[in-house]
Amino acid sequence: MEADVLVVGSGIAGLQAALDLADRGYSVLVVEQEASTGGKMIALSKVFPTMDCSSCITTPRMSAVAHHDNITTWTYTDVDSIAPEGGAFSAHLTRKVRYVDEGLCIGCRLCEYACPVEVPHEFEGNMGARRAAYIPFGTAIPQKALIDIDACIYCGKCEKACPTDAIVWDQEPQAVTVAARAVVLATGFETTPLDAKKEYRGGQAANVISGLDMERLLAPNGPYGRVLRPSDGKIPDSVAYVQCAGSRDETLGVPYCSRVCCMYAIKQSMLLSGSLPLADITVYYMDIRAFGKGYEQFYQTARSMGINFVKAKVARIDEEANGDLRIRVEMIEEEGKLAEPIHDLVVLSVGLRPGDDPRRFVGVDLDQYGFVASPEPKLDATLTNLPGVVAAGTALGPKDIVDSIAEASAAATRVAVYLGPPAMAPHPPDDGLGVEVRDINAGDAVAVARPEVQRA
Amino acid sequence: MSVTVDPTLLRTLQRYGAFDVAACFNCGNCTAVCPLTGADATFPRRIIRYAQVGMKDELLSSKELWTCYYCGECSETCPRQAEPGEFMAAARRYAIASYDRTRLARTMYLQPFLGALIAVMLAAVFALFMYAGHGPQDSTSLALFQFIPSELIHNVGLAVMILVFLAGLAGVATMAGRIGRSEGVGWRTVFGGRTALRRSGRALWIALGIESLGQRRYRVDCETVQQPVAWYRRRWLLHAMTMWGFLGLLGATIADYGLELVGIKATGTPVPIWYPVRLLGTVAGAMLIYGTTMLMVDRLRKANRAVRHSIAADWTLLALLWIAGVTGFVLELALYLPQAPAWGYWIFLFHVAVAMELVLLAPFMKFAHAIYRPVALFFYALTPGGGGQRSD
Repeated sequence: MEADVLVVGSGIAGLQAALDLADRGYSVLVVEQEASTGGKMIALSKVFPTMDCSSCITTPRMSAVAHHDNITTWTYTDVDSIAPEGGAFSAHLTRKVRYVDEGLCIGCRLCEYACPVEVPHEFEGNMGARRAAYIPFGTAIPQKALIDIDACIYCGKCEKACPTDAIVWDQEPQAVTVAARAVVLATGFETTPLDAKKEYRGGQAANVISGLDMERLLAPNGPYGRVLRPSDGKIPDSVAYVQCAGSRDETLGVPYCSRVCCMYAIKQSMLLSGSLPLADITVYYMDIRAFGKGYEQFYQTARSMGINFVKAKVARIDEEANGDLRIRVEMIEEEGKLAEPIHDLVVLSVGLRPGDDPRRFVGVDLDQYGFVASPEPKLDATLTNLPGVVAAGTALGPKDIVDSIAEASAAATRVAVYLGPPAMAPHPPDDGLGVEVRDINAGDAVAVARPEVQRA
Repeated sequence: MSVTVDPTLLRTLQRYGAFDVAACFNCGNCTAVCPLTGADATFPRRIIRYAQVGMKDELLSSKELWTCYYCGECSETCPRQAEPGEFMAAARRYAIASYDRTRLARTMYLQPFLGALIAVMLAAVFALFMYAGHGPQDSTSLALFQFIPSELIHNVGLAVMILVFLAGLAGVATMAGRIGRSEGVGWRTVFGGRTALRRSGRALWIALGIESLGQRRYRVDCETVQQPVAWYRRRWLLHAMTMWGFLGLLGATIADYGLELVGIKATGTPVPIWYPVRLLGTVAGAMLIYGTTMLMVDRLRKANRAVRHSIAADWTLLALLWIAGVTGFVLELALYLPQAPAWGYWIFLFHVAVAMELVLLAPFMKFAHAIYRPVALFFYALTPGGGGQRSD
C-alpha cells in the first residue's frame, strides 16, 4: 500500500486534514485505532458557541472521508512505527481483529440483536450497555460490526444470525507496511481521569460524572434519552459543575489550562436548563476563560439565563447516604466564608491530556506535558522536528473544535507545500453532502473545482 | 478604617519558611480542604492574602495562625503547590519573632548559626556558673546534689522561671492585645461581671484543658485527613507525649522542690522508684524521649507533608528536649550502678544546664507556641461561632 499522506487519527482534525489533502489531489490513508472514525467530537451533544448538533456536523465529515475517492480509511488499526526511509516514510501498521469480515458485513445489526452478552457501553460513558457483538454506536462509520472477544461467551448466536456469514472466528491480526511521503499526526486527547483527584470521589461516588459523560446524557441518542443521575435514576434538581477538576492543578501534573472546560460547562448548563427547566445549576469556577469569538457573549447569555456562577475552587466532595454530594468551598466573593452546599449530581470539568504518545511510533519531539512540540510554535504551529511530519488539533495542545479544524487545514497546507503538486488532478470540493455531489459532477471534476480558499 | 500596608511583609515572611506564596492564585482550595475551617475560622487563604497585600497588623492579630496544627492537607492538594501549610508555619515563626520585643527570637530564627552559637554559649554559661559552686564528687554513690548544691540549682532555676515568666507575659500581652483589638474583646468582655467571668473560665478550660492538654481538635479533626499510620506513630500522639512528658518532668522537678520547702523530703534524698514524684519523673521522661525521638525520626524521613521542610528552629527545640530527656534518664539508670561513675556528675551538670536553657529560651524559639497557642484558643472559645467583630 502506498499513499501520499498518512493521517494518524480520525477525530475532527484528522478528518479535516484528510479531506483538505484529498480534495487537492493527494492520496490519503487515514488510520484510526478505534472501530469508527469521528474521535471525541462525534460523542458530543452540541457544540459551543453555535449550539450546532455535533452529530449533524461531524457525521457528514466522517461520511465524506469514507466515500472520498482519494482517501482510504482503516479503522481498528494500530500504528506500530513510522520510520523515515529515503525521503519518505515506511509505516508499520497492525489491523486489529474484528472477528467480522469487513467486506461481507452489511451493518444490519442482526448479530448485535442476537448476542446475549451485555457490557457497559464505553461510548456512553459506561452508563448504557452494549452487546459483545456490536456496532460501536449509531452513527459509526464504517457501519461494520465487531466482536468484543473478552466479553464473548462463544455461544455462536451471532454467527447463526449473520445473513452474510461475515463472522470469522479465526481472524488473525494483520501486519501491514505502508509507504507514505508525509504524515499528519492527529492523535487527539484524553481527558484527565475521573478519579485523578481523590478528594472529588470521582469513580467512587456514582453521581460524580465527567463532562464527557454529561455530553452523552444530554445527547438525544444518549444512554437514557434524558438527563438522569446514574445512582438511582432521579431527575436532578441541583447540578454542580466543578471547574478546573483536571487542569491548572500541579498535583495532577496538569498546570496548564485546558481551554475548553469553561465553555463546555457553560454550554452544558444552558442545555441543562432546557432539559431540566426546574433544576438549579451552579458552576464553581476559579476564572471563566471565555476567550474565543462570541464566547464572552455566550457566557453572559448563560448568566442571564439564571445559571449560578460561583467563584470558588471546590476542595472536597463527600457522598451522602442517599447519593447526594456535599461540596466544600471557600466563597471567595462572600468574605471567604466556608460553604457546604449539597447537589444531586456533580459534573467534573475534567481537563485535556495527550491522547497518545506519538513517540511510541515516531521520533517527534514532545513538550513537557506530552503534546507534540513545534520548533516554530508561533509562526508554524503545526510543524514537528521531522521534515514531512506535521501535527494538528489537540495532539499539539488543548484546544477547541474551531481551532482544531483551522489547525488541521493549516497542517494540510503545510503538507501540500512540502509534497509539491499532486500526482492526481484536484478533486471537486466536498461541501458536506458526501459522495452524491461528486457523483453528479462525475466526469467534469476538474471543471467544477473551486479554489480551496473559498472553503475556509 | 485605614489599613497600613507593609510592602516588605511577604519578603520578610519568606525568610521564615519554605513556601512560594507568590504562586498562590487565591483559589481558596486550602481553606475549604482544611478540616479545621468552619464558621469561626477561615484560613489559610485569609492569612496568605494578608501577606500578599502587606497587611502586617491584620496578620499579627489573627488568632487563625494558631488554630492550624499543620496536617499538611492544604499543601498536599494546593493546585499551585504553593505550600500553604508551610506558609502558616512560617507566619507563626514570624509572629513569635514579632511578639518578642527583645529581638532575640528574630535572631534565633533568621540567623541559625548565631542562634546555635547563642544556645551553646548559654548552656556553657549555665554549666560554668553552677560548676563554680560545685562540691565533691562522691565515688561510692552518685550524690548529685553534693556535687552541685540543690540550693544553687533551685535559686538559678527560680531566677530563670521569673525571667521566662516576664518575657512570656510580655509576649502574651502583646499578642492578646492585638487579637483582642481585632476581635473586639476587651478587659470588660473577659472580666466584667459574673457572666463574663463564667464565660472566660469556661474558655480557659477549653483552651488549656480540652484543646491544649487534651489536644482534641489535633487528635480528632486533623488526623482524619492524613494517610493512616499506626496509632503509636500518629502525629498528635507524638506531640502529646512530648508535651505531657515535658510538663510531667517540670511538674516533678517543681514538686520535688516543694517537698523540700514544706520539709517532707530534702532534694537528693534517695527514694524508691515508686515514690510518687520520682515515678512521675520517670514516666514523663520516658514519654518525652519517645515523643521527641519519633518526631525527629519523622522529620529525618520526611514522613509526612508537615515535616517535608524542617528549619534549624525545629531541630533545636527537638534536640534540646531530647537531650534533657535522655540525660535525665541516663542519670536515673546510673543511680543503680554499684560504683558511682564520674561521668554521672558531668552528665548531671549537662542535664541541668540544658534544662535551664530550654526553659529560659522558651519564649524566643519554637517552644513559644506552647504559650501563644493557648491564648489564641482562648479567644476562639470566648466567641464560639466567630462572634468577634472583625476589623476587615
